Amino acid sequence: MSNSIATRLILALCICTGTIISLGMALDYRVSRTELLENLRLESANTIQKSITDLENLFDGAEDGTRFLAKILQQQDFTEAQLQSLLRDIVDSNGDIYGAAIAINPDTVTSERGYAPYYYRRNGSIVYADLTEGEDFYWQRSWYSDAVRAAKPIWVEPYFDLEGGQALMTTFSAPVYRLDEEGNRSLFGVVTGDITLDELNHYVSNMKVGQSGYGFLLSGQGTILSTRDQTLRMRSYEEVITTDTQYWREILVGGLEGSSLVRTIDCPHIDGSCTVRMGSLDPVGWPVGVVYSQDEVLEPLYEYQLKMLATGIATLMLMSIAIYSITRRVTAPLTALAAASDSIALGDLSTSFPPAKYNDEIGRLVTSFSSMQRDLKVYIADLEDATASRSRLEGELAAAREIQMSMLPQGGEAQETCETYSLWAKVRPAKSVGGDLYTYYERHGELFVAVGDVSDKGVPAALFMAKAISLMQQLQEDFSEPNTGMAKLNDLLEQGNENCMFLTLFFGVLNLQTGTLRFASGGHTPPTLLQAGRATTLEQKSGPALGLATEQTFPINTVQLPAGSRLAIYTDGIDEAFDSEAQMFGTQRINAQIEKDVDQATASAGMSLFQAVDAFAGPTPQSDDITLLLLDWSAATLHAHEFAQQHALHLGPKLVTRANLWLEHVLEQAGVSPDVIMELTLVLEEMVTNVGKYSGLDQTSELQVLVAGNSAEISLEIQDQGSPFDPLSEARRAELGQDIDHAQVGGLGVHLITQLTQQQDYRREEGKNILRVIKQLDT
Amino acid sequence: MELKTSVSIDEEQSVARLGLKGALNTDTAPEFEKRLQDVLSKGNSLTVLDMKELDYISSAGLRVIFKAAKQAKNAGNRLAAANRKPHIDKVFEILKALPDMAVFADDDELDAYLDAMQSQVKGDG
Repeated sequence: MSNSIATRLILALCICTGTIISLGMALDYRVSRTELLENLRLESANTIQKSITDLENLFDGAEDGTRFLAKILQQQDFTEAQLQSLLRDIVDSNGDIYGAAIAINPDTVTSERGYAPYYYRRNGSIVYADLTEGEDFYWQRSWYSDAVRAAKPIWVEPYFDLEGGQALMTTFSAPVYRLDEEGNRSLFGVVTGDITLDELNHYVSNMKVGQSGYGFLLSGQGTILSTRDQTLRMRSYEEVITTDTQYWREILVGGLEGSSLVRTIDCPHIDGSCTVRMGSLDPVGWPVGVVYSQDEVLEPLYEYQLKMLATGIATLMLMSIAIYSITRRVTAPLTALAAASDSIALGDLSTSFPPAKYNDEIGRLVTSFSSMQRDLKVYIADLEDATASRSRLEGELAAAREIQMSMLPQGGEAQETCETYSLWAKVRPAKSVGGDLYTYYERHGELFVAVGDVSDKGVPAALFMAKAISLMQQLQEDFSEPNTGMAKLNDLLEQGNENCMFLTLFFGVLNLQTGTLRFASGGHTPPTLLQAGRATTLEQKSGPALGLATEQTFPINTVQLPAGSRLAIYTDGIDEAFDSEAQMFGTQRINAQIEKDVDQATASAGMSLFQAVDAFAGPTPQSDDITLLLLDWSAATLHAHEFAQQHALHLGPKLVTRANLWLEHVLEQAGVSPDVIMELTLVLEEMVTNVGKYSGLDQTSELQVLVAGNSAEISLEIQDQGSPFDPLSEARRAELGQDIDHAQVGGLGVHLITQLTQQQDYRREEGKNILRVIKQLDT
Repeated sequence: MELKTSVSIDEEQSVARLGLKGALNTDTAPEFEKRLQDVLSKGNSLTVLDMKELDYISSAGLRVIFKAAKQAKNAGNRLAAANRKPHIDKVFEILKALPDMAVFADDDELDAYLDAMQSQVKGDG
């Protein structure tokens, strides 16, 4: 998938947008969180402050009403009825006051229990109660005695009022003093305003912050007035604090001393941390506080965080979906194009490309690809055609090469080892076929060698070479003298040679008895002769190259090959081989190499020269056909039983008998074995019989028989001056191995000649038929 | 280098025996041919060329034998060779001459053949 642009694009865009959105949201969150926290802090502070203000108002209200009453009573005397009415009005008009009392100093009244009217609220109406009716005297109650003792208005510790309001309450008590004419101050009484703890509770409960937060209120003496747990009311905090909640002591003591403080504690009622904020109520100096769970207070923040996260995820998802679908949509043609390209790459050129909707980059790409596909189709079709014709041509050239090589003795690389000489030759065309040639054959005790080079190379040269080598075979007779043969070959090659192709040719005839080499050169590179370890290029008189003009003469060169010498005949492909710096191999290097390989046999010396040329040329391709012929001359060995006899026979009766008797005699004298003698007499009989039959000579004519031999071979030659007749090609030959019914009568003679001797040559020379056969002896 | 021939005919068995001595070559072949024609013309069912003393045979000699073998066969008779010396054998071999001609290595083989033929004739009679 990562190979798809679409996927990478989607991934990249998603990551980018995701990061941007996340960063934005994080920034927003950070700002919002600060604001939110500040808001929360303010809100909770406001909540607390408002409740405290309310509480203070409550206390202030009760105080103000009571102080007002005290002020009035300080200055005026009222009847009891007036006092009660006043008292009732105070309660009625002051909603904060639960109940109010005027307790007259008992010392100033006649009644034994004093006088203390009390009005308080019950079930929505204002009820009168007489505080003198209680068990204790009212001046013994703390709200009276404490105020009198303090001689100033005070808030008394909360208490349960049995006599009056029948409720838990706290009371603001203000002593009222009057001055007589002498200026003496005397206690008139105490006026009180009550606030019920229920009322306080109502306000404290408003101090709630968070779900489970609560407020608490203690009296100045440390009595718990209001808290979450109602059962703790009216108990001293000292009793309530356990060993686990010692930290409260510090907090509450601080609060009782009037200091404002904030503490973080383990929530007493739920899991988690809670904050305790302590303050004190101004009018009374009582500690008031709130406890709230931090988690709950931060709940909106948490909610905000969750919302933020959800929004972020949702945005991301929506964004991803949008990016995905847009990218898919945009890159769909690209994906289809890629699939089509893959298909084309796999070789299916018929694949059609997706249609290009718009002329955008992809559209242009599709157009380009389609055009490329069309071109590719054409190109591949062309290539297939070209390859087919090329391989056809290569096949034809390979066949041509085979045919051409088969025209050369032993198919292009020849090795011949005889008693007196050893020969090795090789042709290596620069291309499949080439114009170089070599040939050799033995005839009448002579070795004929030729090396030629057709101008140019490749197929035209090969065809010309084929023509030349065929003509040379036909002209074997003429090549008995190299210059004559070459002149004839030249004339024949010239015929119809419109292209002016030409052949340079070395043609040599080596007398295998004497080691005399006669050769003619048609513009061919002179050969190198290696003797006594020194290689020298032979001086030669050369004629022109063959095939260009008729009636040319070719001078004959004669060289006596010393025994143990080596003749190297080559084409200019060797001396004109070039290296990468266009240097020629040259005859000096050839001669040096030939000297170096003096001790090698012809084949390895020849290959060595080829390798030297290749090493010299290096990477430069072979520019011309290369041919090398090496001829080692070891000289004819003289044999112990060497003999030669010549005998003239007239063609009279008993010709065969006479001939055979003579031959038997000669061979017996030479010590030849009886089997060989009989075989040679059989051969001679056939040779002589043929002359008698076909020469057209009369009985007085003579024929010559020559026999020569040594321990290795015996040659028989017969010469007659009759009409030309080559028994080897012209005499009838019966088919051998036939049964009586099918056997031909006659035609057996030539078979005997060819079966019993290893070499047979016929030539017509100077009006003579010369038939020569050689029988090799098993040594 | 002459050729001498001897003829003996066993009329009872219808076997002619032509002995050769010397050399059968181009020079001697014509005379031998006449001689052989004479023997063949007697119509014996078997004519044996006894080569016990034949030292030399050339293609001209073989030519005569080929011709005679055909004639004999055409006449319903047979021509056989016996007692060929190794070098005579070799010439036959080289020329792959008449693979279907009866050849007896020596007299014993020939006698055994004749005996067998006789008993067959008697058996038939």
